[in-house]
Amino acid sequence: MDEFHTGEETAFVVDEVSAIIKESIEGAIGGNAYQHSRVNQWTTNVVEQCLNQLTKLGKPFKYIVTCIIMQKNGAGLQTASSCFWDNTTDGSCTVRWENKSMYCIVSVFGLAI
Amino acid sequence: MARKKQQWFLTTQRTGSHTSGLLCTHWTRGKMSDLAKEKAARLLKKRGSVSSLGSHEVRAKETVGKTKDSISTVSYIDEPGHHDDNPRPAVQMENTYQLGPVKRFPVLTVNNILKDVLTSYLQEEKYEAELCRQMTKTISEVIKARVKELMIPRYKIIVQINIGQLSEQNMRIGSRCLWDPVNDTFSSHTFKNSSLFAVASVYAVYFE
Repeated sequence: MDEFHTGEETAFVVDEVSAIIKESIEGAIGGNAYQHSRVNQWTTNVVEQCLNQLTKLGKPFKYIVTCIIMQKNGAGLQTASSCFWDNTTDGSCTVRWENKSMYCIVSVFGLAI
Repeated sequence: MARKKQQWFLTTQRTGSHTSGLLCTHWTRGKMSDLAKEKAARLLKKRGSVSSLGSHEVRAKETVGKTKDSISTVSYIDEPGHHDDNPRPAVQMENTYQLGPVKRFPVLTVNNILKDVLTSYLQEEKYEAELCRQMTKTISEVIKARVKELMIPRYKIIVQINIGQLSEQNMRIGSRCLWDPVNDTFSSHTFKNSSLFAVASVYAVYFE
């Protein structure tokens, strides 16, 4: 019965996820410059779009998606994460995206059910 | 799905003699191909190496000698009669048909941990890139360790920490999760001093 399932189908494939993330960011923010009033909307759109696409993969995972949008003005930001999970099945993927006026950092954690 | 089945398989192996009438013993018995065995062994091996997870490892060691079967290295969890060696009552882990968490994730306690750790590590610090780079790593590890100490079975923990400089910039952090809202939860805390801010979030995801 195992023959019918390849590991690919149920594994956390980082390439796939990072493509989804990039697409969502491009879709939500695209070429816009930083606008205070729209940041709220952007973050929402990015996480929502990411999650939608991830759901469509139809894999047995629970997902956590976080999005940080920060205005560029020379201020620094460090971020780190540490996880207690099953390394064989679970995975994470972080994409840092930037344009002239802002940074956008999106992390996805996938936890196998 | 394959993975899931694999786990079922392991489960039945480990509970084998104590639980009768298991639904899935039927299909595992006799069908345990070499491939499956190998896979299971590999899975276990990986698991083993993953677990710097204190208690798990300890228990694994305890039973390796007793069962001599690589597949049953996991079996220690619910072997009756070894309760004494086991700091956590084995009963809680025993029943694989348990549907919900025995112990809910204590959001408030974790929140206090976050508060405590962030304050103690960052109270006196000024923002400096290199320092904060180290700090994020250290703090995330410390928080993870503290949360693990709470010994909440069946929860996977994800700790995320952001430390940023305060310099009149705007920033928004948002997150959304696809999970079971009944059992899965998160806790978050923001810390601020005169030169930096830190946001720590802990996500706890129930794992059957």
